[in-house]
Amino acid sequence: MTLTTLLVLAAALIGIGFYGALSQQSFVMLMMGLELMLNGAMLAAVAFWAYSGAGAPEGQLLTIVIMAVMAIEMALGFALVVAVFRAKQADTTEALSELKQ
Amino acid sequence: MTPSLATHIAFVVLAALAVLSGWRVFCTDSMVRASFFLLLSFIAVGGIMILLTAEYLGVAMFFMMAVEMMVMALFMVMFMMNPAGLNPMKMVHQERVAIVAGVAVFGVLSAVAVLGDFPDMPLPAEHAPVISLGRELLGDSMLVFETAGVVLLTTMVGVVVLSSRRGRYGRADEGSVPPGLEPGGEPAGRPKESEEEKGEEGGHAHQHHH
Amino acid sequence: MILDQLILPWLLAWLMAGLGAYLVAVLDRWMATGSTQAGSVWLAPLASAAWLLTQQATTTEAPDAGAWRLAPALYLALAATGLALVPWSPTLVGVDLATSLVLWGSLEALATVVIFLHGWSANSHLALIGAYRYVALGISYLLVSMFVLIGVALPAESLRWTEVVAAQESLWHVVSQPLGLPLFLVVGLGLTFWGPLDLADSTDLSTGTAVERSGPPRLVWALARAAMLVAFSAIAATAFLGGWMGPWLPGPAWLLLKSLAVLVVLLWLGRRLPRLAPERCLTLMWVVLLPLSFVDLIWAGAVALWMA
Repeated sequence: MTLTTLLVLAAALIGIGFYGALSQQSFVMLMMGLELMLNGAMLAAVAFWAYSGAGAPEGQLLTIVIMAVMAIEMALGFALVVAVFRAKQADTTEALSELKQ
Repeated sequence: MTPSLATHIAFVVLAALAVLSGWRVFCTDSMVRASFFLLLSFIAVGGIMILLTAEYLGVAMFFMMAVEMMVMALFMVMFMMNPAGLNPMKMVHQERVAIVAGVAVFGVLSAVAVLGDFPDMPLPAEHAPVISLGRELLGDSMLVFETAGVVLLTTMVGVVVLSSRRGRYGRADEGSVPPGLEPGGEPAGRPKESEEEKGEEGGHAHQHHH
Repeated sequence: MILDQLILPWLLAWLMAGLGAYLVAVLDRWMATGSTQAGSVWLAPLASAAWLLTQQATTTEAPDAGAWRLAPALYLALAATGLALVPWSPTLVGVDLATSLVLWGSLEALATVVIFLHGWSANSHLALIGAYRYVALGISYLLVSMFVLIGVALPAESLRWTEVVAAQESLWHVVSQPLGLPLFLVVGLGLTFWGPLDLADSTDLSTGTAVERSGPPRLVWALARAAMLVAFSAIAATAFLGGWMGPWLPGPAWLLLKSLAVLVVLLWLGRRLPRLAPERCLTLMWVVLLPLSFVDLIWAGAVALWMA
């Protein structure tokens, strides 16, 4: 467990999450991709805090802020999905192409 | 901080669990299963945080993500086809591009991790991570913390407004119909309204609770 | 190091889980029948456990294989982890994490996931209804539990159970935070879906999430619920009744006695409190108990300031 291995692990999580966010058709799966990316970001923040930040408390604070961002992302995302579903019966990204008008 | 052998073993196991379950999220047949695989990935990362002595963050990860993924699973069932995963399910677009982009992101970021030169400043020996986090949250960074709180409150208000059925100009779901059983088909699951009921509804709609 | 950091907590937790679950079965049967006639109270739980062990473990059509097999064991594991967090004396603690109080909270959150999986994975309608009921209620208990636990952590200025007990040196939290223990007991009944809050595995769903279970897995599920009740009693005794503190007797004995008292109260409440319909129960949680837990937290803060 060194800084390098931790960062490679974080990179792997971010890479998988990026794949998911780009490839999934349904909104909810797309949000799961975003969450996985944030997961990697949190791990990287804690790794830097432990190995190259000399335990500066801001490193932990950053992780807390990311957690708050995740909660906000999920709540707003679901509210928008509910609103879109009510209006257009759409639960996949393709179904929303009319938004371009 | 010099990790012991047990810490190294635990790290390898948890890292493998985090990546494998993160990958399974996007290739499993049931949405509920997918959200719990994501939870497993979060729990593994939380365990690694505890190994890094960030005890509060690791444990907070457990309870935050347990509830978040539970809610996510419920939404999955509400919106998605095939919640039980009895049929194969693959709903992807531009998959090749996405795979290439994902691998490229991984490659670039891990190149930064391997080749980058980061300062080597490990945790001091006498270090109380929970206390230092608490003092930071309610001390120097209180403004950041409070801002996060206010943003969360704003989110709650916004979410209730977005998802509430009633707006200033009438019902939010006015004119919407349930999806058909096949694409473009008749709306499913809504009983046909009889003529007299319709006439009555026009007169005093406010008395009916639908 | 391996002996006292790995094996001892492990033994302690599993011993408590096994013995405690047996005790719960005995006490519950005794309260139901009202007598200890002819030793049947002591033997009956063992007999029914042995009967379940010899039965065949049936399965449903196309269950979610992993979750279906693992759910009872996972719930038991959560209960054992909870028991490992309990401090028996200032030094005898299974897992003495700096945030063990938050870890208990996260066990409650993970229990929601495990119970949902137990009902969902069966691929059967009554079990699924039970699972949804538990999730709807579980999220409301979680909030109440969180505020009550923050109230307990405030005077200790720590998230460690040992320090929470140490902070009750002069006055137990059951006295200084009178709202805390009653609210927490409701959370306990909800967490183990016991008595009136047994809406997930209730009889109107013909045992809800466990409806498709038989044989050894059903025994593990029952064991896990009882062990969780024991873990909860020990945590409640630690949080509100001063844990190991008391005159004459050694610390672990006091903790045992106090946990037993909480357990008896819980089982008695489980038999005495009226049952509510799930939707009324939800209203009660959000409209009555959640504001009460805010009051408890404000009260705890004010008392902590005044005593400091």
